[in-house]
Amino acid sequence: MVNSPGRHNSKKVMCMDDLIKKKLKAVFRGIKVSVEKDGRLLVTARSDNTREVLKSLKDAGYIHLALISCVDWIDKRKFELVYILSSYFENRHVIVKTDLKREKANFETVVDIFENAEPYEREIHELFGINFQGHPRQIPLFLERDYEIPPFRKDFDTRQYVKQFFDEIPFVEEDR
Amino acid sequence: MGNKYSLWAVYFCTGCGIIEVPPVITTRWDAERFGVIPVATPRQANLFLITGYVSLKTLKAIIRTYELMPEPKYTVGFGSCPINGGMYWDSYNTIKHLDKYIPIDGWIAGCMPRPEAIFIAVTHLWTLIDKDMANGYIKYREKYQYYRKNQESVLGKLAWPPQFEKGNVHG
Repeated sequence: MVNSPGRHNSKKVMCMDDLIKKKLKAVFRGIKVSVEKDGRLLVTARSDNTREVLKSLKDAGYIHLALISCVDWIDKRKFELVYILSSYFENRHVIVKTDLKREKANFETVVDIFENAEPYEREIHELFGINFQGHPRQIPLFLERDYEIPPFRKDFDTRQYVKQFFDEIPFVEEDR
Repeated sequence: MGNKYSLWAVYFCTGCGIIEVPPVITTRWDAERFGVIPVATPRQANLFLITGYVSLKTLKAIIRTYELMPEPKYTVGFGSCPINGGMYWDSYNTIKHLDKYIPIDGWIAGCMPRPEAIFIAVTHLWTLIDKDMANGYIKYREKYQYYRKNQESVLGKLAWPPQFEKGNVHG
């Protein structure tokens, strides 16, 4: 059987997961690492050392940033940023999560570590209103209009907005 | 009118409905039997199929495309989304009624309509053209200031000048 890097047995993967878990726990303070399932690691980092965690993971071979996502936990008054990294060599994923305060939605950019983070951060800035310090061009990506509350925040009332905005526009009647 | 058997559809893709169009214009359903041929540029087209939901960004492109088409021109809204928003009826960024912004001569309801529905629409459009009822482009000239006002109220100030001057309804 061809021994390609994508194929692996689960025993070896578990070992690799535990290895990364140990390494991360040794270096970073306040970090939580759990193995979700084979080949999928969940890392919960503090917001002040998330950049370093991402950097060390990149050095460990996780060079592909697949996605940056954001969750608005309005009851807990915080945003959660989710970085999904994957490795071309080991066919495994690492999910890095970190919390931000909802009132001061500021975070440092990771564009200098992963260059393809640029559109993801622009999108999150536009839809959630999180400011990424050091981002080279934080300009609108999709939206054509300015919204008082960024539209993906949970306190943005879409139905109210549609009622006030799109429904108020009159039809062009024949007999006008 | 003579041009009813030669409808040139502008190849404008929006939403999920455009996936229905390649089988319609090729061998399986063969829209050329009905005189419908797609063209790549709006300057050579007289049929505009809007095939899905219209976000604000798409609306801008739709207005530009529509204004570039030579008259007489006919527009057909395809699917539920351009009619009343469809499943995007409470979206923050998708317009609900396309006929508030450009005139529409006919609608094809459904999510998704079958390719056959396009041919029903085309044959119905022939009837409308015969009876001079497919007059959306005339309405656009006459009510242009209202359309322009609606367009600018969602898109802000448009980057291009008005197509028709106020009072000069014949362009």
